[in-house]
Amino acid sequence: MTEPSHPIGPTGPSETSGGDAPSVELPAVELRDIWKRFPGVVANAGATLRVRRGSVHAVLGENGAGKSTLMNVLSGVYRPDEGEVRIDGVAHHFRTPADALAAGVGMVHQEFRLVPSFTVAENVVLGACERIVRRPAVESAVEALAGRFGLAIEPDRPVWQLSMGERQRVEILKALWRDARILILDEPTAVLTPGEADELGAVLRHMADDGRTIVFISHKLHEVTGFCDEATVLRGGKTVAASLSVADTDASELAGLMVGASPVITERPPAREAGEIRLQVRDLRCSDDRGLPALNGLDLAVRSGQIVGVAGVAGNGQRELAQAIAGLRHVESGTVHLVGEDRTDATPRQRFADGLGYIPEDRIGVGLAPRLSVTDNAVLRTYGRHRRGPFLDAASATGHCRDLVDRFGVRTGPLDEPIAGLSGGNLQRLLVGRELVGGPRVVVAAQPTRGLDVQGVKAIQDLLVGERDAGAAVLLISEDLDELSTLADRLLVMHAGRIVAEFDPVTAERHAIGEAMIGHAETADDTGGDQ
Amino acid sequence: MSRPVLVRREQVLRGGQPLAFAVGLAVALVVGVALLVGSGHDPLRVYERMFEASLGDPRAWSVTLNRAVPLGLAGLAVAVAGSMGLWNIGAEGQIMAGAIGAAWVVRIGEGWPSPVLITAMLAAAVLGGGLLALGPAIARARLGVNEILTTLMLNEVAIRLVQWLTHGRWKDPESHNFPLAPMLPDNARLPGLFERAHMGVVLAAVVILLFGVAASRTAWGYELRVAGSSGATARYAGISLPRKILTVLVLSGGVAGFAGGIELSGTSDRITESLSNGFGFAGIIVAALALMRPSGVAAVALLFGAVQIGGQSIQTMGVSSSVSTILQALILFGAIAAGVLTRYRVEMVAGDATEAGR
Repeated sequence: MTEPSHPIGPTGPSETSGGDAPSVELPAVELRDIWKRFPGVVANAGATLRVRRGSVHAVLGENGAGKSTLMNVLSGVYRPDEGEVRIDGVAHHFRTPADALAAGVGMVHQEFRLVPSFTVAENVVLGACERIVRRPAVESAVEALAGRFGLAIEPDRPVWQLSMGERQRVEILKALWRDARILILDEPTAVLTPGEADELGAVLRHMADDGRTIVFISHKLHEVTGFCDEATVLRGGKTVAASLSVADTDASELAGLMVGASPVITERPPAREAGEIRLQVRDLRCSDDRGLPALNGLDLAVRSGQIVGVAGVAGNGQRELAQAIAGLRHVESGTVHLVGEDRTDATPRQRFADGLGYIPEDRIGVGLAPRLSVTDNAVLRTYGRHRRGPFLDAASATGHCRDLVDRFGVRTGPLDEPIAGLSGGNLQRLLVGRELVGGPRVVVAAQPTRGLDVQGVKAIQDLLVGERDAGAAVLLISEDLDELSTLADRLLVMHAGRIVAEFDPVTAERHAIGEAMIGHAETADDTGGDQ
Repeated sequence: MSRPVLVRREQVLRGGQPLAFAVGLAVALVVGVALLVGSGHDPLRVYERMFEASLGDPRAWSVTLNRAVPLGLAGLAVAVAGSMGLWNIGAEGQIMAGAIGAAWVVRIGEGWPSPVLITAMLAAAVLGGGLLALGPAIARARLGVNEILTTLMLNEVAIRLVQWLTHGRWKDPESHNFPLAPMLPDNARLPGLFERAHMGVVLAAVVILLFGVAASRTAWGYELRVAGSSGATARYAGISLPRKILTVLVLSGGVAGFAGGIELSGTSDRITESLSNGFGFAGIIVAALALMRPSGVAAVALLFGAVQIGGQSIQTMGVSSSVSTILQALILFGAIAAGVLTRYRVEMVAGDATEAGR
């Protein structure tokens, strides 16, 4: 394994340990040949990681590549089956996260572990102060620590009042308070707005310059190229590229390493003649869950036999757009026409009857009911058709479910068992199958392939193309630009609750699309083109 | 060194709940032995007496069945709400409200034929219980007000209402100024079944069965399950959540009110402030142990009825009736603890257990 041996900047709070000569730069973190097996899964198959002290190091990989497992090994949550964990050159055998913390490794988890009714300062020192202390003293100590790293926070505010970005700062402060010299952040920007993500990047830079070592897990490439020094790419539990210098690479090379030679990005399916307008949205305005404007006069139209892709940075109203079309979000003004009829005020059930199939972003909890059986979930939209008087005809419902499962290749146990036992890909096949089985005239698919494995992605994409070829109007909202450029017949870019640009997916340059996604839409070609 | 750790089962153990229940009962009886020995009693004799008084002969059965009626109906009331993820903690008050409704019908229905009077009483009882739950139901459905607090607080209101009535307008003129309502006339009494058991046993069984079928076989029950599993999924499926919440909570109150009507007409001489006797609260335990399923409610209610009747019977031996209360609580604890094992299994691992349950 070759690793560039840069001279380090300012030394961190740690002292060089071990008996090595001080002239040899020891990596802050070294994971050698880590193996970790779970029943039926090998999560890490000889993964390695070397992180230079005082750097921001990205760990990249698709879902299921073994990133989280490797980080859990580093932070003492899991013990590796084989392999070695070295911190500052010293081998460690962490038994608990507390052991890892004692060695200076702190983790900021994706789900925050905070007490909502406690203040920021109370959360930071919780479990890490040995005696009862005066509140003002703790608050000023926390404030001083936050100030040192440029973390804007009010120590006396209760956590429940804070935004997601502020909560994350509290989590980071917790690790810093416990004197973590090596900080692991597990997909820290997933819950942040783009502005907050940039701020986080600055904070991480600041901490690295202070001598701390940051391990940053992500699959957003622009963040990696934006504020990381080096990147390690995992695929299938193995390290496929170790400690690449970010300055010497680019997003497309990293993306290539992440997906490898897998056939996710398929050939463009041949286009089809577009028909009449099936879905028309005019001047749509509505608010998000916090009551802030999410859609600000959005217009779009989708024709029969057409896939219209919507690209955009997460949080620019894509979620609200899908919900408003499906009838699950209050529309403040504007109209939604389905198959020529104004259905702005129709219920979700009426819209389904009109031929709208909706694949929501949240599979479990919106699209599927978690504790119910496979059959119960399969008839969620159509249980009215399996009625006999007040009774549900169990045989007819089971028959319908059996058809669905066979036709869409859902691998499942007994149909009367809860869906909790199904894998992510099979859950999505069940959900997509249910929405498509009746031959919808309009399909709204929100992030339909997110988090699925390669086969799952392919299966869902093929189904959407199949619907288009059968004449449906498909609105595909996705954060995966590759998916959009492959599948979409027209590519719209959404920013701040509006469609700001339209591209021809065949000829569009990624650079131009990216500019439009961040709101610089003046360079976009053929805006407002044919509909 | 090896030590046990809990490992999540891939599938919940089938038939695990009755097993957990049996474990809970066993735990309760074993701990009960310690309690009884500690207080200077012969545990075997006490348990024998409890068994005889509650399950020993047809007469004991009849008393236990009568006791299982309000427990089962209150448990059903809690379970109906619970199947949708709502907590009706107000069954105690709704039982009272039901009894008030039934007692009011008795006052206006002097001289009515018995079947008419009793039917009217029970209908009024359902209305009374439903009415008490209506406020919390509307507040929850329209404004999202937590129904646990509102239903709980209305318990006090209902009990004070009974006190106010028995101290005032409904006071029996022949009670020598004791705050007592008049005795029920004979035509307001539920007919007997066998020994001391009354028709309420059959009525309660029918109601529980009806709800069991409705919950598992009808479209209404399906919608309830969807809404209970995830509110967002229910909206997606086109189910109106506010309407479901409203009907379910009012229905839950109505079932508890029905229990009050049956208790008044079946086992009580008159309406008193102690008529609900903790049944509403015991109903929460019954529903929880039955995992909010009507079929389970009936079984748990029978067992709790037996424990309560057995517990009362040993007072003549000088054992405090608290023993039966403690036993009920221990059954709950034991069963809940054992219930964990339906979802997890115990595995012995070498060394430490840092990865337990991950």
